[in-house]
Amino acid sequence: MRITRQRLQSVAAAIKPRISDASPTPYSWISNATPGSSTGKLAGKAIAIKDNISYTVAPTSCSSSILRDYNPPYNATCVQSLISEGAHIVGQTKMDEFGMGSTTSHLPSYYSPVHNPASPQPNEPPRSAGGSSGGSAAAVAEGSSWAALGTDTGGSVRLPASFCGVVGLKPSYGLISRRGVVAYADSLDCVGVLGRDIDTVEQVFEVVSQPDERDMTCASLSSRNKALEILKSYIPETGIEGIRIGLPKEITQTASSSLLDYLKNQGAIIQEVSLPSIEKALPAYYVLASAEASSNLGRFGGNWFGSSITDTVDKNGEERRKRIRTQGFGKEVKKRILAGTWALSADEFDNTYLKALYLRQLLRQNYQSLFRIPHPHSSHQQIHKDGKKGVIDLILHPTAIGTAPLLNSGEKGTKGSDEYSQDLLTVPASLAGLPSMSVPAGKGQDGWPLGVSLTGQWGMEKLIFRLGRVIEEWNKGQ
Amino acid sequence: MINLLSPWSITRPILIGYSSSSKITISAFRNFSGSTIKRYSSKGKGKSKAIDGEDDWETIIGLEIHAQLKTGRKLFSPASTSYGETPNTNVNLHDAAFPGTLPVLDLHAVRLSLITALALQCQINSRSTFDRKHYFYHDIPASYQITQHYNPLARHGKIQIFEGDNKVERTFDVGIHQLQIEQDTAKSQNVGDNTLVDLNRAGTGLMEIVTEPDMRSAEEAGAFVRKLQGLLRRLGSGDGDMEKGNLRVDVNVSVRRFGAPFGTRCEIKNINSVRFLQAAIESERRRHIKHYLESPSIPIKQETRGLNELTLETFPLRSKEEAMDYRYMPDSNLPAIVIDQGYLQKLTHELPEMPWDVVKRLTNTYSVQKRDVETLIGLDEYHARGIRYYEDVVAGDKKIAKKAMNWIVHELLGQIGKTSLSWSPDIIPSGLMREMIILVEEGKITGTTGKSIIKHILSTTTSSSTKNNQEEMQIEDILSMLGIEITEGKHSSSSSSEDDTIIKELCEKAIRNQPKSVSDYKKGNEKVIMRLIGEVMKLSKGTANATKVKEELIELLKD
Repeated sequence: MRITRQRLQSVAAAIKPRISDASPTPYSWISNATPGSSTGKLAGKAIAIKDNISYTVAPTSCSSSILRDYNPPYNATCVQSLISEGAHIVGQTKMDEFGMGSTTSHLPSYYSPVHNPASPQPNEPPRSAGGSSGGSAAAVAEGSSWAALGTDTGGSVRLPASFCGVVGLKPSYGLISRRGVVAYADSLDCVGVLGRDIDTVEQVFEVVSQPDERDMTCASLSSRNKALEILKSYIPETGIEGIRIGLPKEITQTASSSLLDYLKNQGAIIQEVSLPSIEKALPAYYVLASAEASSNLGRFGGNWFGSSITDTVDKNGEERRKRIRTQGFGKEVKKRILAGTWALSADEFDNTYLKALYLRQLLRQNYQSLFRIPHPHSSHQQIHKDGKKGVIDLILHPTAIGTAPLLNSGEKGTKGSDEYSQDLLTVPASLAGLPSMSVPAGKGQDGWPLGVSLTGQWGMEKLIFRLGRVIEEWNKGQ
Repeated sequence: MINLLSPWSITRPILIGYSSSSKITISAFRNFSGSTIKRYSSKGKGKSKAIDGEDDWETIIGLEIHAQLKTGRKLFSPASTSYGETPNTNVNLHDAAFPGTLPVLDLHAVRLSLITALALQCQINSRSTFDRKHYFYHDIPASYQITQHYNPLARHGKIQIFEGDNKVERTFDVGIHQLQIEQDTAKSQNVGDNTLVDLNRAGTGLMEIVTEPDMRSAEEAGAFVRKLQGLLRRLGSGDGDMEKGNLRVDVNVSVRRFGAPFGTRCEIKNINSVRFLQAAIESERRRHIKHYLESPSIPIKQETRGLNELTLETFPLRSKEEAMDYRYMPDSNLPAIVIDQGYLQKLTHELPEMPWDVVKRLTNTYSVQKRDVETLIGLDEYHARGIRYYEDVVAGDKKIAKKAMNWIVHELLGQIGKTSLSWSPDIIPSGLMREMIILVEEGKITGTTGKSIIKHILSTTTSSSTKNNQEEMQIEDILSMLGIEITEGKHSSSSSSEDDTIIKELCEKAIRNQPKSVSDYKKGNEKVIMRLIGEVMKLSKGTANATKVKEELIELLKD
């Protein structure tokens, strides 16, 4: 079912009274099922899912015309978990095609754009909701869904959360099963949760963060339990008294000093730390993500996937594949596939892909050297190569380099490198596989929302939620 | 420095064999039923069309073998493996590369690959990983194959080929460059203008075994493949069936003048029998030598070739210039495999005796013929029941070892060959066979009697129930049934009263004496005829010819 304005208004209004009737909708598909009575931890909750998370009743197209007619024959594990706990899947949300973008502007031509609903004044020019999970963030921000699932490969949940003034969690890599999530870059992809507050995000996270035998990268119960044990043994049961927060000196802190003072007053210890490796994180990220994308998207267009545009008869299978891929992928996707193919080519591999892997490894070690809490997967206590012990528990920095950018019409007008630099502050945690959450923290000078990101050791979501709630309290007073 | 191409450690590796990883312990050695009789004789085609001066040239051969892992399921999906079934019926969403599906590694396949690598005396990598090999083709739905490129499961193995194996003229080692686990592709077929794709095979687990270029003749390459087939079957890791495509061979061939550097090699792909392998090597060898003799200054073109199975000549498929860049990349969906050293030792310890080791041991211990031992191996390549049967009959008794071999291989198998039966250790239990051989050896019965005993047992064995009552059968009973008395050093003749009428009378009497047996027989229990035969034997005081008695009884019981 394609979205029409009338359809959206009639159906969405029935779901939630607070629905905005703004014309550009964040949804690519809206459920026409009436939420029945249900039981479970999420009974009756209206939850939207991103257009790349498989749901049998929805056309999971990744906002790409190449998957326009694709209806998955199975539910993603995380969707199944939501349904099992009584959630009502209200719709699927628009995204940058296959997750490639930071503004939710890389959409097929037949999609209306996604407008950021967090405008401080009614008549401001439309701004981007961020990307790639811009539809999910906007759906939550406008109130048409209680929470939403997004995916975050290099910041795709946190960035739109920051721009739209909602909470966005990218969990530790491997905590939420990726089965059923259409892959962009397997080593980076994480299912994330968006909600208006941390309580909401935590409730949904607890439901979808489960072991899954059908995803070998999904953490086992023992790894999860170990993370909880470690947290208990390092951090007091409640409050943030004594929690050590690091501010990376490589990142210009735009967080207000009032927030830092507030945290200090609650007993947190704040200190400057050094994360020199983040300076090379962005290029490493684009090499690795594009390389994996070129691999994952190879399946579309050849045989059984990719819309077959049948008004042409092709000479052979190769010609058919070329035509379908040329017509079916958008400009940004093609760009990254080409970049990724190049990075993996025999002549370029050592100098590009391998170097990016090396930078990723450095970054990961850099993070690990800062944390007081050991990695639950390391068999022994945290002992750093240089003999120095980690000193901090969480890292705090702004989620984005500013407030939401103006929405450019279509793809023209966007300078690629400008868009890429939006991810500057979010890709490091993705590369390191660490949990990171964006929490609303005041407004920019233009009145649009700002967010701060909290990044912790693998598996330490509970600690992030705890500090996040303190920031939430502070934010209410702003 | 850390190994960057090992999937980075955010994902916890799969620990194999570690006591703490109780969840992923691997099941015990699986039993696979079924056996095939291996044909040892190889009738290699004689080298045709000799080229002048070809003796100055050495042929260099290396093999790349794809052996299907006998796990019953696909490597990364729960779909079962199949052969000859309706196309596209054994397909899991992952095999068809549906978006969002993820590979789940079959740990049984890892175990079978490990024991294969150990039997090939490979070094097992303490950490092995999976990579993607990319190319666009309709037989590969994901547009990449999951394989092990950067860190294969095992490397640096070897297998010894003996002089005489497959007419090989020297004893030498074939080095194993590496052994890796990977997915098979789908099958495709051109029908008219259409290409039809069958995904039943897509995603089946394979071991790719790459040898060093250590072979020097078609026979040596053939010997290697045969040896590998025996190894796979004995381990149960594969069936080595080339006809079904469960074992496929690519061969690299080059030639050089003795002592000169290696020549340019050509690869002949997808060969599906040892005979074709040897033909391909011969064809290629002649082609290369001819080329160098005719145009010595022009290097031969490096290319991939196929074998025309009708002409037995190779033909070009694609040249080096068209070679694809596979853009190998670590597969982040699959954690690294980390194997416990203690577990490896346990696996090594549990390896079954390899067929060639059996040959060596039995020929050394009992001075029996290599050919005969190989026949016993061929009876059951998977579980070596033929060898076990022989050893049970001999029971360490060197005195009867050679005789026992003759009795089993020539007499027993010879007689079985004339029936519709196939060999099983239950047809004549090893204990019975042993007793009989000892009686013959001690001169208590003649060899002829021994042969009649075998004949008698086979004649009363139906193919549907090879495992009949003979397990409880005592040699004395059989002898008495056959009317043979064991006498010290002298044998009673079994033909003192051959008069048919006497036999008929005795049979009629036996039928009267045993109405129950008769009614059982008529109800279809044909085995009870043994009881009637026994009755006739008793009546004739063991002098009647059992075969004739049986024929007569069957005749009388017809109505």
